[in-house]
Amino acid sequence: MSSADALLAVEDASYAYLERFPALDGVSLQVARGEKLALIGANGCGKSTLLKLLDGLLFPDAGRYDAFGEAVTEDNLEDEQYNAGFRSRIGFVFQNSDAQVFSPNVREEIAFGPLNMGMATEQVEQRVDDTMAMLDITALADRAPHQLSGGEKKRVAIASVLVMNPEVLLFDEPTAALDPRTQHWLRDLIAQLHGVGKTIVVATHDLEHLELVADRCAVFSEEHRIVADDTTDRVLADRTLLRAVNLVHEHAHSHGGVVHVHEHGLHHHDRNS
Amino acid sequence: MSRTTTAPTPDWLLRGEVGLCPCGCAGRRSRRGFVEKTLTGGADVVRQALFSDDIASRRGLLQRIEPRVKLLTMLGLLLAAAFVRHVPVLLALYGATLVLAACSALRVSFFVRRVWLFVPLFTGLVVAPAALNLVTHGQIVVPLGTWFGHPVGLTRQGLEAAAVIVSRVALSISLVVLLTLTTPWNRLLASLRVVFVPRVFVQVLGMTYRYLFHLVTGVGDMYTARTARTVRRDRDVGRGRAFVAATAGALFGKAHALSEEVHLAMVARGYVGAPQVLRPPRPRAADALWAAACVAVIIAALGVDRVFG
Repeated sequence: MSSADALLAVEDASYAYLERFPALDGVSLQVARGEKLALIGANGCGKSTLLKLLDGLLFPDAGRYDAFGEAVTEDNLEDEQYNAGFRSRIGFVFQNSDAQVFSPNVREEIAFGPLNMGMATEQVEQRVDDTMAMLDITALADRAPHQLSGGEKKRVAIASVLVMNPEVLLFDEPTAALDPRTQHWLRDLIAQLHGVGKTIVVATHDLEHLELVADRCAVFSEEHRIVADDTTDRVLADRTLLRAVNLVHEHAHSHGGVVHVHEHGLHHHDRNS
Repeated sequence: MSRTTTAPTPDWLLRGEVGLCPCGCAGRRSRRGFVEKTLTGGADVVRQALFSDDIASRRGLLQRIEPRVKLLTMLGLLLAAAFVRHVPVLLALYGATLVLAACSALRVSFFVRRVWLFVPLFTGLVVAPAALNLVTHGQIVVPLGTWFGHPVGLTRQGLEAAAVIVSRVALSISLVVLLTLTTPWNRLLASLRVVFVPRVFVQVLGMTYRYLFHLVTGVGDMYTARTARTVRRDRDVGRGRAFVAATAGALFGKAHALSEEVHLAMVARGYVGAPQVLRPPRPRAADALWAAACVAVIIAALGVDRVFG
């Protein structure tokens, strides 16, 4: 895929926090319309930083980023029309739901995005009601964030993004710290959203359910570079690569006196025991 | 490429550790220090707020009234309380607040305690000297002795003035307590718009309230983590102060990082500096009825007060 065909295209981007702590080092990535892509890598490798860059929340120190055929720059995003167009087309579900759920109650939280988009109040109210019904959180409408559980906060955070009906959805470690049932619900939701044509980008280090959330994987090294970009099947089959980027490791233990060697971090793909 | 540590596990970690003391009580107890008391106070803030939220979500008369209507009518009643000058009228209005509390799923004993805990403490202490003949001249009804040959005591006029002030303060606090206990904080803050508080100010207040809980919980977690690793109680006040200062510093860092992330989350959903809020619900017939009743009470109270002279 060439950069010109891509919906989102990052080219040779580098970024360092406080100009001292590198997070991205010469990263290039293209995302096609309707794709389901995972960014995988160990903790601190740069996945979340790349998602923020894709959402126009930070800008590369070097390199460039284009979305929907236009350059995404700080200057462009100061333009009201460009900003509204870009923000309405890309939705970002943060890892920390406490940061994303900031309004006094659930209804206002979900209405925040559409109101900022300048939608008519009646339309906003209708969308808020529809989204709450879809995610089964109507009963929480008047609750304050401190009255919500972790799973409920995640649902509200997702609702606050889905209500804007963005073309592209970015998820940062979406299943982290969620109970198994909510994780399952979330993976189903991602599949459902992809099924209706949404472009999905998920940052994760959960390899166990990777095939359910992505068809393609970009693999980060701990040196903040993308070292592989291939189909999920092929990436998961490449044990040397996964060991090198610290996503799996070998671990020996015994069953009934017989010592086994497993690769941890990749349970349902284990074939080495 | 991998940075996973490969250093061997130290020997001491592989050996069992002998406990410092045998398990069991020795009879010596230690008191809670100022650090514990301060941080437990933080936990109480959350508990109190959750309790208030619980009351505000009950089915009661005042809970049914739209917060903006409730705020305006309570302001009207507060103004009336400020203008009424006779104790019987103030007491009648205070009686009405007790009825309202009972109709709003509030235990009257709890409501009375909540109000009268502060009234004698603050107002009583302030107005008590005013009842003395040294401040308010008049007929001494409670002699207290002599001072430099002059009789000292409480005067009828002084006691009447003190009674007016105390009953006015009790009524005012009762009205405010009724308003705050029967309205969820987020809706009460939103209703401030009706008295022309700027939208951005209301939004900042709302976010402050929202993140207060988050940060207070963080402080509690830090303290719990410290307690879990405290083998012997530390009686050194200096180290206690150092812990509080370190906690405050860590909290400041957390709050700063959180505020940046919250801002990014706002920007990601199109925020460009102008806060937008949902249209509040329209007042209903019950709200109009409540407002009319309050206006009638205000007129009646001021009228009767005038009749008293």
